[in-house]
Amino acid sequence: MIGCYDFCGHYEWTFEWLRKVGGHELVKAYWDEAIHHDSQLHASKLIGEKGIEGMKEYWGPTLADEGAVYERTVTEDVFRIDMHECPSKGFLLNNGLEQYRDYCDHCMGWIGPLMKKAGFVIDHEHNHCGQCWWEIRRKDDSTPASAPGTLSSQHDVRLRPAWKSPHTDHYERATDPDDKTAVS
Amino acid sequence: MLAADKVESPLPYTDTKPVGHADFYFAVNATFRFILRHHGEEALRKYWQDIGRSYYRPVAERWRERGLAGVADYWRAFFKAEPGADVEVIEAEDETRLEVRVCPAIRHLRAHEREIVPTFCQHCYFVNEAIAEAAGMTARVCGGNGCCTQRFMKRTTDLPSQNLEDIATAS
Repeated sequence: MIGCYDFCGHYEWTFEWLRKVGGHELVKAYWDEAIHHDSQLHASKLIGEKGIEGMKEYWGPTLADEGAVYERTVTEDVFRIDMHECPSKGFLLNNGLEQYRDYCDHCMGWIGPLMKKAGFVIDHEHNHCGQCWWEIRRKDDSTPASAPGTLSSQHDVRLRPAWKSPHTDHYERATDPDDKTAVS
Repeated sequence: MLAADKVESPLPYTDTKPVGHADFYFAVNATFRFILRHHGEEALRKYWQDIGRSYYRPVAERWRERGLAGVADYWRAFFKAEPGADVEVIEAEDETRLEVRVCPAIRHLRAHEREIVPTFCQHCYFVNEAIAEAAGMTARVCGGNGCCTQRFMKRTTDLPSQNLEDIATAS
């Protein structure tokens, strides 16, 4: 049986299997169709109907259940997460599992299209070591991403000494996993 | 988790949490549906066989080293970490048998009214058989759709092959 205890391991393995079968486009289609529109349809429904309030309802219990160490900062205009210990990437690192080129892309792979459909855009950065941050705003809000420490104060993951380790992948007002640039 | 703990676990990949998050069964089911929709039944069977031979290779290595007792140890640890599972692992002289009284995946998918891929239960046969083959064993599945019997035996030539009609359609 394929179980849920080590889900992140076979999930990551599956990305590479799909890439070999159908290339990058098949992996992107998987994140959108299988994860956004099927597996996580409850998230899609909540956020589509309730916006930022739905994000609070979805990510609160989900991240707690998964054992994440994170901080959430929410105003009327922005939903921010500072992920200090991603349970998903942490599982892969702890078990030495790496088949796919960048596991962290899967989050933008399904959350990006979900937010696009719900009318939001995403500023995001991940460092491939289990740390990342997200700021999600309505698409007609042109406010740029916050400077380190200004929105989530001491909880800002960018203030960690080893944040750039050695580089991050950065997204600006994005909804597509391919919209990233590397930052050293 | 200490490295020594990982060595002692019958599971090849370990987490800091004792039990997995059941909502991940949604993604497992959705993955099967996606592969089926895009590439068909044969591709889905190949996915199951490939994941058994590749991702679960460390499981096969342990089964090969420890025999049917290692199979039993693996499944006891496995189902202890799957939320909602009710499974008895029986060690007989010539086989290790799982009596799955409550399949945790089917249970959770049903509880959340998810549409279950009809061939969902076949994945247990194809994945198990791929792991077992690499360990010099073979696997058979009978039943499904929430409860089933799974058997693991030494690989011999006189065993009848798996009849897929013995595996129930999931719903």
